[in-house]
Amino acid sequence: MNDRIERLRAEAAELKVGKETASRDGLYQVAGAVAMGVGAAVALTAYWTSLGKSDSRDIDSLMILAIAMLALAVVGAAVFLRYSLARFLRFWLLRQLYEGQAHLDQLVASIDRNGDPASVRRSFVPESDAYERRNMTVGAEGPEQEL
Amino acid sequence: MAIVDGSPPLELVGVRAAYGGIEVLHGVDLAVPAGAVVALLGANGAGKSTLVKVASGLLPPTAGAVRVAGTDVTGAPPHDLARIGLCTIPEGRGVFPNLTVRENLWMATQAGGTLAAIEEAAYARFPRLGERRTQLAGTLSGGEQQMLALSRALVTDPAVLLLDELSMGLAPILVQRLYETVAQVASEGISILVVEQFAQAVLGIADRAAIMVNGEITRVGSPAELQSELSSAYLGG
Repeated sequence: MNDRIERLRAEAAELKVGKETASRDGLYQVAGAVAMGVGAAVALTAYWTSLGKSDSRDIDSLMILAIAMLALAVVGAAVFLRYSLARFLRFWLLRQLYEGQAHLDQLVASIDRNGDPASVRRSFVPESDAYERRNMTVGAEGPEQEL
Repeated sequence: MAIVDGSPPLELVGVRAAYGGIEVLHGVDLAVPAGAVVALLGANGAGKSTLVKVASGLLPPTAGAVRVAGTDVTGAPPHDLARIGLCTIPEGRGVFPNLTVRENLWMATQAGGTLAAIEEAAYARFPRLGERRTQLAGTLSGGEQQMLALSRALVTDPAVLLLDELSMGLAPILVQRLYETVAQVASEGISILVVEQFAQAVLGIADRAAIMVNGEITRVGSPAELQSELSSAYLGG
């Protein structure tokens, strides 16, 4: 048994397989949304309730409750954004990569078709294609035999 | 988690997988022994790439188990599997087209090691990449992109390598050379599962081969034993 397998065995044994990993993001997202909603609602309710109070101690208590609930709403909003935006940005990044590749392919193809391949293409793919074309035939001789 | 001595580095047991309501893998059993090259062959749409996705953690199976060195890792995310040494080169190479060769290799430093050491290892294996180090990966030829993908995978020092359609879109001579590199990698002790449509390319270097038809492994054996059955697997005869 080689070292790699021994290392793999040790690291696999330590791997914490979280069956709920995939759903955990969604859970945090829902929890964030709930905290945001509840926090805002209770803060507003405390504010409205305080309007009917005349005792300054009641008003102080409701003010403290409202501020605490506003803090909860802010934290909830942050958690919600963290888990919903992360997913969105991941897809956005992938889309950017694929679109960039598609544009690059179009550009290279267009230069191949319309430009002077000998002079223009060199700046994009120096000898790349030429290298492959030279090696299309099995057993081709020449200095490009190495990979 | 139980660790079984002598268990293969990668093992799929009764794996079923589906896209939505459509089941694609119908109870697949496959093992990749230590230091061996296993070729998974089959026609387009047989479920080969789906099996790679399940093995690499990209697609959770609906039933069955994925075991790495005897440990059940079913449901583990792909980044955790990559971290422990299960590396995948997906169909289409998976290089970052808008990054240069050097920047693509830099991505591998996330798994440890310095860029200088990674570049040295990559360029020693594929000198051609050294000549292209400042070129955007998207402008490399197909063969060079595959070299880059292979280099980036190997510098992470994986224990198991999953290769999906290495030969896709490449000239036969390049395919032959890439598989020579794969054979050399296997001789260094890395266990390899190669998924291929073009059987002849991979059978020359494989230790074991399996034929997949309609989401099921219909035959497992040595490459020599399977040669005669390949035509029926591809033509449905």
